[in-house]
Amino acid sequence: MTTARIGWQAKWTLRYAVAGLLFLALSGFEGILMRIQLHAPGALHGMEQALNALRPVGREPTSAELYYSMLTAHPVVGIYGFAYLCVMGAFYFLVPYLLQKEVRHKALVPVNFTLQIVGVLLCWGAGFFGLFNALYTLYWPLPVSYDRVPLVGSIVFVVGAAIIMVNILLFAYNLFSTVLGTSNPRSYSVGQFLRAAFGISRLMRWLGKEDKDAPNLDYNGLPVFIVAVGRGSIDTVINAVVLLSAGALILIYGLAALLRSPLNPAAVDALVYKNWFWWGLDMVADGNVLMYTAGVWYLLIPLLVGRRLFGEEVVRTVILADLLVSLGVWSHHLLGDQAQPFVMRLLSGQFITWGEFFTMGLTIFASLATIWLARPVTFTPALKFVLGSIFGFIMGGVAGLIQANVGLNLIFHNTQWVVALHAHTFLLTGLGSLLFAVLYALVPMLTNLQFRSQRLVDAHFWLWMVGAVTMAYAMGMAGARGMLRRTLYEGTLYQPYTLVGLIGSLILAAGFVAFLANVIATLGWRNVLGLAVPERWLSRGAEGV
Amino acid sequence: MERSERIWLGILALVFVAFNAVTLSPLVPWQEWLLWSKPTPDRTVRVEVADYQFHLPPGGIEVRAGEYVEFVAVSRDVTYGFGVFRPDGTMVFQMQVIPGHENRIVWRFDTPGTYDVRSTEYSGPRHPEMFVPGALRVMP
Repeated sequence: MTTARIGWQAKWTLRYAVAGLLFLALSGFEGILMRIQLHAPGALHGMEQALNALRPVGREPTSAELYYSMLTAHPVVGIYGFAYLCVMGAFYFLVPYLLQKEVRHKALVPVNFTLQIVGVLLCWGAGFFGLFNALYTLYWPLPVSYDRVPLVGSIVFVVGAAIIMVNILLFAYNLFSTVLGTSNPRSYSVGQFLRAAFGISRLMRWLGKEDKDAPNLDYNGLPVFIVAVGRGSIDTVINAVVLLSAGALILIYGLAALLRSPLNPAAVDALVYKNWFWWGLDMVADGNVLMYTAGVWYLLIPLLVGRRLFGEEVVRTVILADLLVSLGVWSHHLLGDQAQPFVMRLLSGQFITWGEFFTMGLTIFASLATIWLARPVTFTPALKFVLGSIFGFIMGGVAGLIQANVGLNLIFHNTQWVVALHAHTFLLTGLGSLLFAVLYALVPMLTNLQFRSQRLVDAHFWLWMVGAVTMAYAMGMAGARGMLRRTLYEGTLYQPYTLVGLIGSLILAAGFVAFLANVIATLGWRNVLGLAVPERWLSRGAEGV
Repeated sequence: MERSERIWLGILALVFVAFNAVTLSPLVPWQEWLLWSKPTPDRTVRVEVADYQFHLPPGGIEVRAGEYVEFVAVSRDVTYGFGVFRPDGTMVFQMQVIPGHENRIVWRFDTPGTYDVRSTEYSGPRHPEMFVPGALRVMP
């Protein structure tokens, strides 16, 4: 593989992927450490003491402080490090490729790469060095309660988070700009794009009023993948703007405290803040993830099985429904809040959340029908992981609907059920498998190299699936028995479950190692390392990716 | 929309109706009083939470089996949770305790015995300490 074989954009896509995988390794390592601590509190004491030498704090932190600092950094590394970097890299290749035009602002590609890494590392550092421990939920007023969270750590964390969010806005701007750019005959104004995104043009047609300014009512002519990316990225922007506003609030309180003029936390209503924060945060969990996932299934499956997508017109509508539903489901995170108006909990928290059952149900139906109608199909690595991801979204989705219920949530809220059987199944079995499917499909496209070992592909697939399901199921059952998330227990009440959960996480990690070994065997050490060095260094070498 | 998609959509709609009808009905026992009968509480128990501590009525909480008890929890600093657990660790019910609000829930205990109280929301690194064994006694 020589530098001449691979384009600039493809090279950056591989860089994003490798950096994303490194963050997955870090996040996974943290996960294993936390599972060890859950199973055997005190087991990591020696390691904690050794690492404390690196921490600029004037006292020895407690094991609980270290655990919760890691628990705060863990999802940021996993979602904004691993998932977002892989998504950014894949979209920066696929969107221009499918539209047959270049990325509008090429200079932003390396900028996005750098800022995302800097932001994630700052958040991670705020936890590791600064012991910031308010968790990703940042429930008001915990992140500004400086008797519980370190002031400097809080400021560093929100600065890191702000860098990530600004970077995501830049990325979304570049995506929209590429899609809307006038260098293509299928171009849109911003107004046309938004009207089509929210179905306004279609509604006007339905009401008998032609929207003359919208020549492409439902992005007709655009690949359905682009439609999903476009609509999903609206949620991406909302997520970034809302989290930025929350971060700005925390930063103002932090700077005031630093200047010894502390502000009153009670000036902000904790429930209003929680609604605002979850509305934005949920644009990832119940918004762009579902639309991006659907878009990738719609793109990959027809390519992998050689058949046109089943029910394409229906899935375009489903993506519209996904966007509309995602704007109204956040209250399922507040079902445990009796102070939240009941009508909000019932409508937004339960009924509208069931909208995802319909949209994902139809999405999965179209995906599986496409595969079924294309029989006989070859189960390529990418197709195996696509099926794995569908399984993950079904399993995680069912668990989610059980807990998103005004009645059942009373015994499921904040338990291991939520974080294991729902969230981690979505993220690892669902989204993780999907990103592996993309990598298995893209790496040969980008490099003209086939993955070296089929055995390692199979090992990766089965270890990943069995490990993820074992971990999620064991901890989910612990949750059904009352085990809380975010709680370190003394005693042996849940130890059988935490032991099986730990074993599952180690099996999962073995699957990931099999994948990394295959990537390195396929690309070669030199090329993998070459992705980490500047362009000008690469030109000096005889070979490099 | 093709026929197979219409059939599938119908199946999804049936599952939606069935699951929601069952879980909103008294088949989930506490829905009977939380959603439908909404009885006047026989007793009110006030719980204050501050600085990682539950401030319970002196001598702990004592109620009778079968009576409706309204728990009113307030937080003086950050968000906590108020969860009641059986001795085997399984959860009876819980609610979030948001500062600046009165957080209320009505419950009916059917089984006499001793129950534990634990915070179900992270409130800082000392959160795991927020466990009060035997805090609630249900008399026959």
